[in-house]
Amino acid sequence: MKRIIFIIFPVLFTALFPIQLMSQFAPGFVEQCATNSGKDATYLKDFQVVLNAALPDQVPPIARFPLVLSKNNIYRFSICTPGDSPGKAVLQLFDSNKLIFSSYNKDTGEEYNPFNFLCQKTGIYHVFISFREGKEGHTVGILSYVNK
Amino acid sequence: MFRQTVIIFLTALFLFSCHTRKGKESGAEFEVPDSVITAEGLTISSEALEEIVQNVSSPIEMAALIKEIGVPFSTNYLATTDYVDKYNTSFKMAYNLGVFGADLGYLNIYDKSNQVVDYLTAINKLSDGIKVGQFFDFETLKRLATSRESIDSLMYISVNSFNNMDSYLRENNRGHLSALMITGTWVEGMYLVTQVANEKNSPELSDRIGEQKVNLNNLLLILDNYKGHEQVSEIIESLNELKELFDNVEITYEIGEPETVEQGGMIMIVQNEKSVINISEDQLNKIISKTKQIRNKLILV
Repeated sequence: MKRIIFIIFPVLFTALFPIQLMSQFAPGFVEQCATNSGKDATYLKDFQVVLNAALPDQVPPIARFPLVLSKNNIYRFSICTPGDSPGKAVLQLFDSNKLIFSSYNKDTGEEYNPFNFLCQKTGIYHVFISFREGKEGHTVGILSYVNK
Repeated sequence: MFRQTVIIFLTALFLFSCHTRKGKESGAEFEVPDSVITAEGLTISSEALEEIVQNVSSPIEMAALIKEIGVPFSTNYLATTDYVDKYNTSFKMAYNLGVFGADLGYLNIYDKSNQVVDYLTAINKLSDGIKVGQFFDFETLKRLATSRESIDSLMYISVNSFNNMDSYLRENNRGHLSALMITGTWVEGMYLVTQVANEKNSPELSDRIGEQKVNLNNLLLILDNYKGHEQVSEIIESLNELKELFDNVEITYEIGEPETVEQGGMIMIVQNEKSVINISEDQLNKIISKTKQIRNKLILV
């Protein structure tokens, strides 16, 4: 009987607390990231990403998020990666299939986090989030509105 | 020892079975006997719908624009919360949840915490009504609003609550309610900006109104998926009247490559591909008038 309990316990525990077990972010982490975007910025949206490592010869996994941006607004994109994430995150902004900006320049090794974007055309854009060298990792991207 | 272990386990099982995803426990995650849910398929792919739905209407951005051009706060632009108890169908609840969400954004941008509580209370009732109350942490928001201790947290939790409610509705086959909520937010945001434009001549406002042609088309695309619901169909009919006016607004595009500048120690990407909005005074006035008519009709009890 005791053996059955020892088997059932972990199974039930996993079933009962999937969110807690799967969550890669400490409580309040996303809010902290949002409020750290700057005094001149107002939180609009977050993009929570957990990606596995790329398999050999595989294209690194990418998380993709559509969003509507409006003309004459300045938006701030920032990335908050917890210290225990093996991979360093890269955020890219696309207009249709055209890359507007990447938070990481592979050629120079420079990182731009956060960066602002002055939108001049209302429409649907995409944020892509991945990890350098296709490593596994978890991160939160934040979209904020920059007060003028 | 064995019996004690079993008792502890069963107690834990009972306690954690009451766990809700977030915030409070009312409006917990049980099946919703929502008579309006239909099994009708989407006429556009769910991925495309998802793309369009995402923040098609942001009350923060509309309200921020109004504040930035120096327009003082006015309660005249807000929808009354007096009739919240009379919104007694899921359609009315979802739509007006969006309306009050837009008004909450306006109040927060102007830091009017004393008036915020009324709207928080109304939103709390409506979100409970359509069983998404677990994403609205009323007590925390009320405490933040009354103590004025952290406007950043108040803004964050408010916006995040609506994002979560919207995602939850879409992920749980209640996309029609999400669409109604988004429509409520968009119409109220439009009402706000058009009322201000009616009183103050501003090219920024005219541009913002004109470019809503793009968002309205996206919104109608979303609503079209739920046109089988009578109330949604009525909303589509009203918004199509507005669309007819927007059809005459011309939007052209200038091509250009983005450039990178440094501003205050931070990188800023300036988009040089621009949209140019051509909206005449007559078109603007007609849109202002039609928006008012639609907004007032839809918030009627």
